[in-house]
Amino acid sequence: MPTWFAKQLDENKSAAAPAAGQEESGQSAPGAATHRQRRVIHAPLLASASAVPAGSGVRIKAQVDSAEKQVVLMVDRPVLEGYSFWCTSPAEAAKWSPLALALFDSGGVASVLIHENNITVTHQDIGQESDDARARRFGQLVRGHLESGVPTMAEGFLATMPSEDQVKEALQDVIDDEVNPGIAAHSGEITLTAVKGNTAYIKMGGGCQGCAASSVTLRQGVEQSFRSAVPQLGALLDETDHAAGRNPFFTAVPAGLGA
Amino acid sequence: MPRLETIEIAIETGKRGLDRAPAYAINGHELDFDEVSGGKGSRETLRLVGSPQSVPHSLTLTGPDSGCWDIEKIEATFHVSGGDPYTVSLGAVTLDQETCLNLWYERPPQLLDV
Repeated sequence: MPTWFAKQLDENKSAAAPAAGQEESGQSAPGAATHRQRRVIHAPLLASASAVPAGSGVRIKAQVDSAEKQVVLMVDRPVLEGYSFWCTSPAEAAKWSPLALALFDSGGVASVLIHENNITVTHQDIGQESDDARARRFGQLVRGHLESGVPTMAEGFLATMPSEDQVKEALQDVIDDEVNPGIAAHSGEITLTAVKGNTAYIKMGGGCQGCAASSVTLRQGVEQSFRSAVPQLGALLDETDHAAGRNPFFTAVPAGLGA
Repeated sequence: MPRLETIEIAIETGKRGLDRAPAYAINGHELDFDEVSGGKGSRETLRLVGSPQSVPHSLTLTGPDSGCWDIEKIEATFHVSGGDPYTVSLGAVTLDQETCLNLWYERPPQLLDV
């Protein structure tokens, strides 16, 4: 465990521990700055709608994440309904998805995830292309592909899919045998909440909920194990509300079980 | 994750007001606001300024010690390091002695028409 992370855990444990006598009296100890346990709730977010208005042509909005080297293209219509597709090489794309292959062929693409109305393109950030220019290039390519009538997925794609029950069983085995024993030392746990088609939904609980390193745990640990067990796995979606819970960024563990 | 320097909050109270001085908690540590103006009673607007000067893993508005606080609307402006301020608007919610309200929202993503 990195030193800074261990230090933060220690600080959080100190913060989470009630001051002497506080629990019985129900009063804060003098000078105590610790927030007493309350359930975190959310108000409805009155954000301006980002939905793409319907129109005759294919309309696409892009969300750019420079740090993750990702462009999420949100299309005003379904691109792949009921299932999802993820690939990391032109060879896989050539086998299963003409749309993904077109993206790889455009250059600098590391992975493509197609799920419902969204296409997430991870790129290699090569050359002098700006984020906006790259997003426009991907958007134009996807629009052109969808308007051409060429299917998103190759014939026979769905025939390769395991049943939802098979996916659930395989992923649950990975969780029980590899994932949860590995993160139990940090009081973390992963729960498989649903499988729809070949898309898996999980929640991260215990010490993982709200942990700044949870996304790394998910991508570099859980996701790789899941994909090894179920190569046809498409999107892996984290449904965890990392800001909710009674102490979402750290849950105190019983004495003797601290990380 | 950005460092939150200050947060400015305007809260429109509904039917039931707040019974205590407003407070917030960052990463589980409860703090008083630096500036409090306006009213916390029914149908009044409370204006608050806090200076967490920290990286927020959690940021919450503390509920009342007893009874309920009906909030009609919240407008929170975040001043983060290395970026322009941004504002988030929240709708109606009721807090009580068991609850606190999530206040931490990262900068809304910018969407491009492509």
